[in-house]
Amino acid sequence: MAALVHLLVPGHAQAKHITGKTTDSIPVVQLEEVKVYGLAKNTNQQLLHYYTANQAATTEDILARLPELNMIRRSSYGMEPVIRTYSSGQSGLLIDGMRIHGACTDKMDPASIYVEPQNLQSVQIQTGHGFQSGSVIGGSVDLKLAEAVFNDSGKWSGSVSSGYQSAANAWYETGKLNYSGNRLAVMTNISWRKAGNYRSGGGAVIPYSQYGKLNYGVTALYKLNPNWTAKADLLLDDGWNIGYPALPMDVGYAGARIAALSLRNESGRGRWQQTELKIYANAIRHFMDDAHRLNVPMHMDMPGESRTYGGYASSRLVINSNTQLDLKADLSSTFLKASMTMYQQGQSPMYMLTWPDNNTLQTGLGAVFSKRINSASVLMLSARADLFSKVLTTQTAKDQLSVLNKPVNNVNRFLKNISLEYSYRFNDRVKLKTVLSYSERMPTSSELYGFYLFNAFDGYDYIGNTLLIPENAWKAEANISGKSGIFQYGLTGYVSRINNYIMGIYQPGLSTMTIGANGVKQHSNLPYAMIAGAEASLIVQPDHALWLINTTRYSYGEDHAHNALPMIPPVKNTSSLRKMIGPCAVQAELELATAQNRVNSKAMERTTAAYAIAHLRLMYSGALAGNSFRIDGGVENLFDQAYREHLDWGGIHRPGRNIYLQFTFQF
Amino acid sequence: MLLIYSILPAALLHNFPCSGVIFSLFLIKQSDSYLSATFLCLAAIRYICCLTQQILNLLYTMKRFMKHPLGIIALLSVVLITSCSKDSAEPDPSMGYIQLASGFAAGTSTHVEVYATDSAFTGYNKLYILLKDSVTGKPVDNAAVLLNPMMAMMSMSHSSPKENPVSNIAVNHFFPCSVSFIMPSTAGTWTLGVQIQNLENGKSGTASFTINVKDPFYAKMFSFKSLADNSTTYFVGYAEPSKPIVGINDLELVIYKKESMMLFPADSSLSVMVTPEMPTMNHGSPNNVDPVHVINGHYKGKVNFTMTGLWRLNLKLKSGTTVVDSTHYIDLTF
Repeated sequence: MAALVHLLVPGHAQAKHITGKTTDSIPVVQLEEVKVYGLAKNTNQQLLHYYTANQAATTEDILARLPELNMIRRSSYGMEPVIRTYSSGQSGLLIDGMRIHGACTDKMDPASIYVEPQNLQSVQIQTGHGFQSGSVIGGSVDLKLAEAVFNDSGKWSGSVSSGYQSAANAWYETGKLNYSGNRLAVMTNISWRKAGNYRSGGGAVIPYSQYGKLNYGVTALYKLNPNWTAKADLLLDDGWNIGYPALPMDVGYAGARIAALSLRNESGRGRWQQTELKIYANAIRHFMDDAHRLNVPMHMDMPGESRTYGGYASSRLVINSNTQLDLKADLSSTFLKASMTMYQQGQSPMYMLTWPDNNTLQTGLGAVFSKRINSASVLMLSARADLFSKVLTTQTAKDQLSVLNKPVNNVNRFLKNISLEYSYRFNDRVKLKTVLSYSERMPTSSELYGFYLFNAFDGYDYIGNTLLIPENAWKAEANISGKSGIFQYGLTGYVSRINNYIMGIYQPGLSTMTIGANGVKQHSNLPYAMIAGAEASLIVQPDHALWLINTTRYSYGEDHAHNALPMIPPVKNTSSLRKMIGPCAVQAELELATAQNRVNSKAMERTTAAYAIAHLRLMYSGALAGNSFRIDGGVENLFDQAYREHLDWGGIHRPGRNIYLQFTFQF
Repeated sequence: MLLIYSILPAALLHNFPCSGVIFSLFLIKQSDSYLSATFLCLAAIRYICCLTQQILNLLYTMKRFMKHPLGIIALLSVVLITSCSKDSAEPDPSMGYIQLASGFAAGTSTHVEVYATDSAFTGYNKLYILLKDSVTGKPVDNAAVLLNPMMAMMSMSHSSPKENPVSNIAVNHFFPCSVSFIMPSTAGTWTLGVQIQNLENGKSGTASFTINVKDPFYAKMFSFKSLADNSTTYFVGYAEPSKPIVGINDLELVIYKKESMMLFPADSSLSVMVTPEMPTMNHGSPNNVDPVHVINGHYKGKVNFTMTGLWRLNLKLKSGTTVVDSTHYIDLTF
């Protein structure tokens, strides 16, 4: 297990690059300290690695650092990652290539909550179009799971860690054990978190912000022969008593059961390379209730479930040393059901389906053709086609949805995506990359079938619309990056026009379901919307012991009538200065965000004030009886600022000054 | 050609995987083996996809069964029973109905049985008369049936709205008809006279039953004096949906006018507006269709329920443009 300093390569439209030519990709953004397990196997460049500046960080903290990702926050747990400002329906979130659909109608359970930092190996972000993850217009995030390690130094290895965070009176314990044999390697890990209500900047305690969770899993690798490896993953996650201060309900229990079997060829020889075959299944259960809320007019339960089965086959055809074709065929089947029951004394329970039972069958075929034209330029042509069939599976579901006067028969769609990427390297100092893409995406089950889903952000009930047509987007992206002396820079700009933009439109004739809701909105196709933005990064590295990393991001969105789109974050700048002093490291961070006053009034969006917060982190690595240990400590939000980010729901402030300490022991 | 190569297979493939096979054969003929293979693959993927889903669905269904050890036995026995047994006996036509009353109609050699789906209540009651030959016990399917409901109170008596069977031929051995009891038995005694003319043996007579009519928990009928003339009394009854579902329901109301103590003819002159509401939640439902008169005082429309529970149908009745009543509602729960 080697701790390496590794550089990130963000802003790339495609995750895969011409074999062996990846080294010239100029790193742009962030310095990451990563643990790379089984590095030798990692010939295919993993785009991003994980951030362990704070060993107590959650996966959400790590994702929030990535310049392409924004987090929609409804509580201190279960933040929803979105790419740039595209909605979660417009982008894909996968775990190890697996589709996992949340079981919560209020998006309280994005798939990212099932991955803890210790079982996260890397994060792959695609912002061009989704060859890997399906028909998406915003891009996709794939959280690669950590694997068991074939370790030369000993059969058994592992780590334990324990930590405390003051703001939420939170404890975080983890354990990891790896067995390495000749052909078999098994890794098992467990993490436990328990947090109370957190204290926001200025001292106010945020009620209903507590949570508890247990994440555990086992993963095994078996070498069938020198070329082929079999892999099995089992990942389980149980969360309980999770508060959602920005929503009217909390979660009593949320559970995920994720399993996968795969076969892969990593020999790196022959015409067909990096072949992977995988089958997977997952089941998510989610129980939302308001049992602990005070002053509730009527208590309700909202359980939901999702079951997905799927598989894929991918491979790379090496045509010659300059030309290759990546192929992937995948299929998945997702069943969703969610219901609501309200109780009024002396009456029969009020029951309805909030996601009428529905199944999505998806089949896709994608290809990326890459050609190195000369030593300076590379051309990539990607295409993907997806067949979707969405169906309401029970008569009850059909009966209920027919109330909305829209057809309830199958929704079948054929989606097409194509993109062209051209990169040209002028010299070491300047490299230019341009991407032009056309993509389509399937409306989500909520958008098609949602039945009076209350959205706490704008206070409206949302109903589905089975007549929605898929959104399609034209997108242009350009990236310029380079390196000169101690400086590295990267600048990415993108603009996209999304036709048939899906948005909730107020229906004055309909009465609300939720007591106190502002009205009913129905998902409808707007003529179009524009989303644009830019990301910039600068790394200064005078010597090996000192790093300065600065990233800035900006987004802009408007609909066809030039109204601001909701949930567009303002300019945000993050700086991080790290100094290594022997076995210690000191890191100072500064986060700056401008105010966002350009808001969507129809979505009842509130403006957000500018803020500046600082963090200070200290790390110490040492050895103890032949084993290594590490101490992480620090203060987040050093000056106890009361602040919130624009994508935070409910106007709730983020945690105030947070002192943390984490002790990690490795053997 | 480009069209065939691009759009056609894509569109067909999704719903008809076999088209992929056919198309690939077509391409083989066109000696385009690469494309042919591609479409064969696509069709295969689609087939596998469908198959997988079917298997998974089956597994899921079986899994639910198998959770209980008895489930396997139950599953097997169901298979065995359904494959072996064959019921040849004619089913009892009164299955699923409640018998409200039974007795002989004097001088007709006929036994009269009155059935309903529920015990008698204040409101529109659908009744089913079953006539049986008193000797053979066989159903009499050919008879003229007339109803005469009568309320005897201390000082007076009155009838109520009713619908005699529309045909002399029984439906499934039953003569469907209705009585709208306009008050409960607590006010007096309801007698239901069933006058029959047995067309199979040619005998006529009357059976008389005392019916115990109860007020339902939620009123299913109301009466009002028209605001237009302040004298005409109307009775509005709830007929359908008798088994409401979450979804679109056929709504049926009956309206009768009181002409005298004995005469309650059907009314077709009013227009009805229905606004469903959940009183505990204060919300309604979308896309309802106001009932309009169809036949014999029956007004039919659509009412949509978005969830189970207690629903209130707020009614507004108009004669022409004049509102004759807007204060009443009908509650139902399911």
